[in-house]
Amino acid sequence: MNRKGLAVIAAAVGAGLLSSAAIAQEITNKDKQSVIGNVNIAPVTQDKLNTADKSTKDFLLTNGNYAQTRFYPGKQISRDNVKNLRVAWIFQTDVKESLETSPIVVDGVMYVTTSFSHVYALDAKTGKQLWHYAHKMGPITVYCCGPNNRGVQVLNDRVYLATLDSKLMALNAKTGEVVWSTNIADPELGYSETMAPTVVNDKVLIGTNGGEYGIRGFMRAYDAKTGKLVWNFDTTPENSVGVWATKDATGRDMHRDIQAEKDMLAKIGDPYAKLGGGVWQNPAVDLATKRIYFVVGNPSPDLDGSSRPGDNLYTDSLVALDLDTGKYVCHFQYIAHDVWDLDAVSPPVLLNVKGKDGKVIPGVIHAGKTGHIYVHDRKDCSLIRFSEAMVPQENMWTLPTKDGARMLPGANGGVEWSPIATDPAQELAYAINLHQPMTYHVQSSPYPNGKLWLGGAFKVIPGEQQSGNITAVNYNTGKIKWQVKTPEPMIGGILATAGGLVFTGEGNGKFAAYNSSNGKELWSFHAGAGVNAPPSSYMIGKKQYIVVGAGGNTQLDYKRGNNIIAFTLD
Amino acid sequence: MLGKLMTCAAVVLMLASAARAETIEEKAQVCAGCHGADGKPIDKTIPVLWGQTAGYIYMQLRDFKSAARKSEIMEPLVSEFQRDDMLALAEYFSQKPWPDLGQPRAPKDVAAKALAASASIGCPACHLDRFQGDGTVPRLAGQGRDYLAKTIDDFRTRARANNPGMSDLMQAASPEDLTALADYLAGL
Ligand code: HEC
Ligand code: HEC
Repeated sequence: MNRKGLAVIAAAVGAGLLSSAAIAQEITNKDKQSVIGNVNIAPVTQDKLNTADKSTKDFLLTNGNYAQTRFYPGKQISRDNVKNLRVAWIFQTDVKESLETSPIVVDGVMYVTTSFSHVYALDAKTGKQLWHYAHKMGPITVYCCGPNNRGVQVLNDRVYLATLDSKLMALNAKTGEVVWSTNIADPELGYSETMAPTVVNDKVLIGTNGGEYGIRGFMRAYDAKTGKLVWNFDTTPENSVGVWATKDATGRDMHRDIQAEKDMLAKIGDPYAKLGGGVWQNPAVDLATKRIYFVVGNPSPDLDGSSRPGDNLYTDSLVALDLDTGKYVCHFQYIAHDVWDLDAVSPPVLLNVKGKDGKVIPGVIHAGKTGHIYVHDRKDCSLIRFSEAMVPQENMWTLPTKDGARMLPGANGGVEWSPIATDPAQELAYAINLHQPMTYHVQSSPYPNGKLWLGGAFKVIPGEQQSGNITAVNYNTGKIKWQVKTPEPMIGGILATAGGLVFTGEGNGKFAAYNSSNGKELWSFHAGAGVNAPPSSYMIGKKQYIVVGAGGNTQLDYKRGNNIIAFTLD
Repeated sequence: MLGKLMTCAAVVLMLASAARAETIEEKAQVCAGCHGADGKPIDKTIPVLWGQTAGYIYMQLRDFKSAARKSEIMEPLVSEFQRDDMLALAEYFSQKPWPDLGQPRAPKDVAAKALAASASIGCPACHLDRFQGDGTVPRLAGQGRDYLAKTIDDFRTRARANNPGMSDLMQAASPEDLTALADYLAGL
């Protein structure tokens, strides 16, 4: 469906809300959503959410559970029988645009989202539509990389959604009616939302996009009942200068001109106010210590560091906060003063890992756009090890030039926003990667009042071969266990199951299952549109299902579609 | 061409003060003097407004008003507009059907060159599938060829300074590629 079609729908579903202040309000406009079937779910209690990692029936959070392992404990679909996997149903959404949604499943009801912040409730057994919420988009949306939405979460009887025009909403899980809506930030200044909220202990956790527009990023908690702000953490603190790090997390020199930066700092002061630092993906929640762990994206402007002296904390970093108060706990910066947009976007995962001395400790894992998987100590965020590079690296860290300097990886990664999967029994993390040779170009310009502020350009080098890969990394050694090459760069996500499998899709429409121990392909399907979304799994009665969105991708311009496809064994 | 614009501008200036208190439809009639009563602009360097994305139209009016985007013609026209006027005009024009200017499809070799450049810079990542635009990103498909060429050049030289990001991207492309893109986009 094209934009005009959307506009028609939006108009048909009624007038939206144009509230000016950042306050929650009740919306009684009932014709925004259409209800077709009955949703009979038991309320999703906090207890249920806390043990989501053990449930084979539901898939309650976009990354499976609060630790974000994307490991599904069911094993009906196995290495032996996966060859018999068949389409159970296909649901066609009304929106044919980039599809990055992670389906969640609650008590036999599936919730999926599409571009332009639509939400659907489906019967997870039949694919029948139960209700549809078509968000009436405000006239001003400013976003990067497509009108995407990555999913929703349910707590009790509400579905939580963040929209492209930067609203946080609670919908009635049974009908899709709006319960409350809060303005998060001003879209005219470059703020937008594409991530799924994480809801825990009556707090709705949400970050923001906008690192391409000179925003000041944040992680926030809103009250799940009222939509009122509980706490705000600015991802660019008032002292963003840091320690003048000259080396990246892997020890490579970043060629900073520290003296020039110090001179600039003396002249303009700390640049924190328009420093970017978006948060694109869900935080992981450590229920035992009541901490959250998330990664912060690039500084603004992306490629031009001249107007932002210092390390630009906490951009390109892993950050941990106290869940109750939003107070800083620790951080680790991968790249200080980034001028390549090789930032941190893929959601971190909480696992037990081997520390430096070989003892098993609580860890955090993040897959970077650099192509490394980083393993941290959860106690203080410090780096324990980083993996072998999963993609070719060349000329790191060559500074961008006016005419363009070649450096690998290209600005999309490595690992983009795509969540990784893990299999703790095998000590493996599974990541999907891009290989896109690029040149990096720099241009200086002043802050443009919420307009695109790249500070240059990244250009794919025409004629150079691009590719992708699926890589399994042992996070306790940093060694690559296996790698499968794909013909095109990969973006979307991956799921590991106790059946000894990983499932992931490609831009050319292929969706496949691999042996999670050695990468051998065991089954595949062609969807007709790019499979660029993370798969999920669940059970209805005695049957296990695998579900994934096939709608292509804006960022890499993969063929668009509008399908949610569920598979099960014959 | 210039003469035509001048006459048009003179008419508008007369109407401008009267236009202030009027309804959106009446305000829009002033615009029709140049942007076309049927959506087809009266001159090749004037852009199509009908069917353009609302957020984009609003942002341009806002930028003309603040002179972040320079235009001797447009700046005085919008100087009295309030935010609500601009949003309403944007909504009004965005709801109109995009006009068919009857521009020829680009020949195969030109299209191939344009698509290669587009893939390298990633134009569809922002301008979306088939260059339809959304929100504050403009539709480019079927926009007037000469206007496209002019505004692309204005981005390149930063004469159009209201989006430095677009200027950076245009400077990263070669002038030949950009000419091919103007031909290609106009013919979509
Ligand atoms: C006298 C002729 C004239 C009139 C009358 C006029 N415009 Fe324009 N308009 C132009 C020209 C010429 C440009 C291109 C300016 C440039 O090249 O930067 C333009 C550009 C624009 C743009 C930018 C479009 C784009 O694609 O970037 C918008 C929006 C716009 N006009 C809206 C309006 C509205 C609304 C009105 C009525 C209130 C109006 N114009 C009246 C001549 C006119
Ligand atoms: C990162 C996002 C992004 C990319 C990539 C991008 N654009 Fe744009 N483009 C924009 C935005 C935003 C605007 C609106 C500019 C403004 O605010 O005035 C725009 C405006 C334009 C306009 C002006 C249209 C008008 O009606 O005046 C043209 C022409 C254009 N872009 C062409 C291109 C081409 C060709 C490419 C690829 C070579 C490209 N753009 C890549 C975001 C982008």
